[in-house]
Parts: sequence; C-alpha cells; structure tokens
Amino acid sequence: MTAPTAPARTRTFVQALTEALEVTMAEDENVYLLGEDIGKMGGDFGVTRGLFEKYGAERVRDTPLSEAAIIGTAVGSAMVGMRPVAEIMFADFLGECYDQLVNNAAKLHYMFDGQFKAPIVVRTACGGGFGGGPHHSQSVEGWFLNVPGLVIVGPATPADAKGLLVASIEDDNPVLFLEHKALYRVKGSVPEGKYTVPLRQAAVARPGRDLTIVAYLKMTHEALAAAEVLAKEGIEAEVIDLRTLRPWDTDTVLGSVRRTGRAVVASEAPRMGGLGADVSATIAEECWADLKAPVGRVGALDTPIPFSLVLEKLILPGKDQIVQAARQVLGVRPAA
Amino acid sequence: MVLDLEQLLDLYRDMWLVRAFEFGLEREFKKGTVPGMLHIGVGQEATQAALAAHLEPTDCFFPDHRCHGLNALAQEKHAGSGQRIMAELFGRATGVCGGKGGSLHSADPAVGNFGDNAVEGSFMATVLGVALAWKMRRQARVACCVIGDGTVGRGEFHESLNLAATWQLPVLYACVNNGYAISTAVGASHASANIVDLARGYGLPCVQVDGNEIELAYAAVAQAVGHIRAGRGPYFLEFKTWRWQGIFSGEFRPPEEVKYWKEEHDPLKLARQKILATGRAAEAAVDQIEADTKAQIERWIQFALASPMPGAEKATANVYVGWEVASR
Ligand SMILES: Cc1ncc(C[n+]2csc(CCOP(=O)(O)OP(=O)(O)O)c2C)c(N)n1
Ligand SMILES: [Mg+2]
Repeated sequence: MTAPTAPARTRTFVQALTEALEVTMAEDENVYLLGEDIGKMGGDFGVTRGLFEKYGAERVRDTPLSEAAIIGTAVGSAMVGMRPVAEIMFADFLGECYDQLVNNAAKLHYMFDGQFKAPIVVRTACGGGFGGGPHHSQSVEGWFLNVPGLVIVGPATPADAKGLLVASIEDDNPVLFLEHKALYRVKGSVPEGKYTVPLRQAAVARPGRDLTIVAYLKMTHEALAAAEVLAKEGIEAEVIDLRTLRPWDTDTVLGSVRRTGRAVVASEAPRMGGLGADVSATIAEECWADLKAPVGRVGALDTPIPFSLVLEKLILPGKDQIVQAARQVLGVRPAA
Repeated sequence: MVLDLEQLLDLYRDMWLVRAFEFGLEREFKKGTVPGMLHIGVGQEATQAALAAHLEPTDCFFPDHRCHGLNALAQEKHAGSGQRIMAELFGRATGVCGGKGGSLHSADPAVGNFGDNAVEGSFMATVLGVALAWKMRRQARVACCVIGDGTVGRGEFHESLNLAATWQLPVLYACVNNGYAISTAVGASHASANIVDLARGYGLPCVQVDGNEIELAYAAVAQAVGHIRAGRGPYFLEFKTWRWQGIFSGEFRPPEEVKYWKEEHDPLKLARQKILATGRAAEAAVDQIEADTKAQIERWIQFALASPMPGAEKATANVYVGWEVASR
C-alpha cells in the first residue's frame, strides 16, 4: 500500500474515480481506457470526463457496442504489457462479455502455467434503487463468485474508490471493479495525489462489540444507518466493509465475529448463490464455537428487479431489513 | 510466386512433420496415452506450413483446436523444441504449459504462440488487443488468429472484423474452411459457403485461396503478411481445404468427396508431384523426408512418454499472480 501523502479534500465518488484514472495515466503510459462513449462524452456517469482532452483518442478509446471485443481487446493488450481499464456501461451487460472474463481473463495465467498475465480492470455500474428496471439495476457479483483467478472489488466510499481503483490498475490480476450507481454522487474526504488502498483487505467502517454486520457497496451505508438505529437501543454493532469481494478478507471478518459472537451479512443481491451465502457459511464453519446465534442474512427478494419504484423498494433490502436481522440474531424485540 | 526447389523441399518437410505428428498422436490417443479430446489436422498441412513459414517469433498467432501442426512447427523452428508441444498433449511436466493446457490450450509466447482458447472464436476478440498494443507502440508485427469455418458463426467474428477494420489493426485472419463444423456443412449454417463473402463487408482485403496447394497458400500468406507489416491494416485469408478426420471417428461425407480430397487433392501428394516435376529431386530423397519426419515424431512421442507428470504443487500454482490458493 502507498499511503496518501497529500491533504484530503471533499470529492464525489465519481470525481474520486476520475482522479484514480488520472494519476495512473499520468504515471504509466501503458494505462489506457476503452469503452462506449467514454471519450468526449466522459462516459454515461462522467467517470472519464476530461481525460479525452488530456490524453487523446488513443488512450481514451471509444468503442462500438461490442462488449466481448472490449474485454477481449483489454485482455489481448494486457498479454503484451498494457494496463487497460475497460468500462462496461452497465453491469447487466457483463453477460455479453462473460466468456471473455470467465474463460479467458481469469484462466489465462493458470492454463498457460504463468506464461501470461491479464492485468485488466473492468469498471462497471451496478445496483438498483433508481427505476432502472430489470436490465440496468442488478447486483451481478454472484455471477462471478465461483471464478478462480478473478478479483472482484466493490468500494463504498470515495476515498476507497480512488485508492482501490489505483490498486486494481496496478495489480497483475484481472479485476472486476463494481461501482454502485447510488454511490456516484456521494461525497467524502479524498486525499490528493496518488495512493492505494490494498486489495483483499476489509475495513472496519464502525467498531462495535455486540454483533458484526458484514456489508459492501451501498449496503455498507445501509449497515451504518442500521448501526445508528441499533445504537439508540444500546446495541453496538461493528460494521465491516468488505471492499474486495473475491477473494474476501476472512481474517478481518472472522476475527470480528469471534469477538462479537453474532453476525449479519448484508448484500443487495438475491440471497441464493450470493456472497452473503459464502460469508455466512464460512462464519458458521470457522466460528461455530464462538457463535451465540445463527448468522443472519439480508438480501433482495428472489425476483428480477421491477421498473416501478414502489415494487423495486419492496424487493431491495436496506437499513430496516438489517436492523430487523440484527435484532433477531440478538434475540431482542424492537424498541417500543 | 513460384518457389524454388529448396523452399519446396523445406515446406514439404514441414507438411510431413505435421502429418506424422497428427498420425502419431492419433495412434497414441487410441492407445489411451493421450487424455482428453483430439482434433487432428491431417489434410490441412499446407495451411499450417504456409503460416508457420511467415510468422516470426515476435509476431503472434492464436491457434485453434486443429493447429497442433502450426504449434509444433513454430516451437521447432523458433525454439528447437517441438517435442514440448507433444509432451503438452500428453499432459506432462515438460510440455509448454507444464501439462496444464493440453491440446486445446497450448501456448508459448517465446515462439509467438499466444494460446488456443477452446471456446471457439473467443480469441478473435483477444487478438484485437495484441494488435492494438503493437499499433500504439508503432511495432510492425502481425497478430494472427486461426479460425475454422464453423467459428464464423460466433458474434466475436463480427465484433473483431469490425474493430480491426475501424481501427486499422495489424490482424491476420486465417480462416481454414474445411467445409464442416463437426457434422454441419458450411453452406448449411452460413449465408455463404465462401467465408470471404461474409468478411468483405467490413472493408478489409479478403482473399480466398486453395489451401491444399502449398505454393498458392504460401504466396497468399506472404502477400497478407507484407500488407500488414507495411502498416496497411488487417487482412482476411480463407483457405479452402478439407480435414481427413470425420466426426471423431466414422465418415459422414459422400464417398466421391472423400476420394477427391484424399486421393486427388491431398496437399502432400500435390507437393510431391510438384517437387518431382522439377526433375531435379530424386524420388528416394523425397521419400527420405517422409521417413525422417516419422522417425522424428517417434522420438517426440518417446520424449513425451518418458516425461514426468506435473507435480502436485502445480494444481494450485498460478491461479492468481502473487496470491496463493489453498491446496489440499
Ligand atoms: C463456442 C463454442 N461452441 C461450440 C464448441 C464445440 N465445438 C468444438 S469444435 C466445433 C466445430 C468447429 O468447426 P470449425 O470452426 O469449422 O473447425 P474444424 O473443427 O472444422 O476445424 C464445435 C462446435 C466450442 N468448442 N466452442
Ligand atoms: Mg470446419
């Protein structure tokens, strides 16, 4: 890890990501960007804004709607030493390049016995809550969890977004970098200049002694809000923000659960086959003697994401579901 | 282009090396010493030899499942270690990927072999990236991918040709049209049985050539590679050929078709006739080439059989760069 040396300022999540691209592009000419409308337009969410003017069409490269070719191009160029950062406009479209990520990027290093590396970063906007409907709202990490060789990163704060993106670009493995759309406009303190936040390391977003809430992406914020509610009831919840979703930081999570003896795992994805399933199963296997109650698991209902905001709200989990799960794990009734 | 006798004899030797490799491998496969699946390229030796003759180790090629020949030729020419391709197919530690890749995923970047991807056509996307990197660095190299006629059905075919043409990338598409994808005839599943017809719309040079006439195949590759090295963008070559292997075993193609390709239009017979027609090569010397390559392949097979299996530590090696994965 390279710690920040410069002072922090307030920046949005989007600005923090732009800064990460900027500092790595300035330092390493092998870093280049490719994706749909990322050039003059700066991308659908403005993450690459200003970079085309600075680095030109060669290194900020607009592509057609060819998701397989985008990722294939990234991988091929990485095989000969480039450090591409590809943008897939919406995570829901990862199906279009699933093969490139799963069968190619993730396996190259292994199947050719170390002769090639695929240091690519695939940035993509995920998550619901804004009426994007069934094809622009999904939490897709579950599609990629059982893919050895792939790294999945999902920041929750602007400072982490910048440091994790720099670390992902510098890492020699293929990284799927998830950006939750609801977080893009969140503001936070972001150090100036270049620094990294280490991959595979979770953060304790709020310390506590009564139970552990494991979350990531937007659910980290929901978990922090839930911890506030619980604090008013005299319950001190520890919130752990995973930050890297694959491989996830078992040391931090299991260490916390061993102390608190209780755990809730919160994800925006449906529970079936999700990251919450793996985290809670691992907790059950490794912390059985310390657990005072079964692990609680919060996730979306087992449906696609509907367009109607009213229905979407019913489907997606949030602060209330986390509070409810925490109370159940603690065996307490809600405060009157 | 007319090749001189020396060149013809070299190519004839290369073609025999491929044929001997494939027949030797098939024999071992039937004995059970070669695990997995096997797609042999007997009948397509001229395309393999023509490509191998022009690709430098600083270029790259993505071989498909029927390219053992190209892999072995590149390995032998550029590293003097063709036996390591054989050992890879036997899953041995001495193979180019330590036995982890096998027939369908052999690679060795030192000789320009960037590896097969057994999901047919997927590397049509990957080849773009290699070509883009070289173009960005102003390196006059050729990024080649070898695909079958059946692979033209993949979306990547169109994504790739479109982007290579739009970005003017140094890509050589070598399409080996052997008439079938497993059992499906090329004309039954594509809008044209001539793949160049499908490629032409993307605005790159598209040339169809008899892939069993070594002189024609050689000249076509020379032309394509020259075009690409001169920085004039991508090039599409379609080799018309035929594979002897049916659907794994058994023959489903009409007898007159089989007869034509095996007896009248066999690339090795055609090359032999051409060599003898010069009147400057003794028949015995030409026959010696066949015997020599067969003996060489037997040595490679012996090398593979005598090689150790990969060590247990290899099972979890190289999943991630720099991170260990738990072993049993
Ligand atoms: C994407 C994908 N679909 C299907 C297959 C199974 N498969 C392996 S070879 C093959 C036929 C390929 O035909 P062609 O490209 O013409 O090559 P040939 O075997 O004739 O050399 C098929 C369908 C595969 N490996 N990958
Ligand atoms: Mg075919």
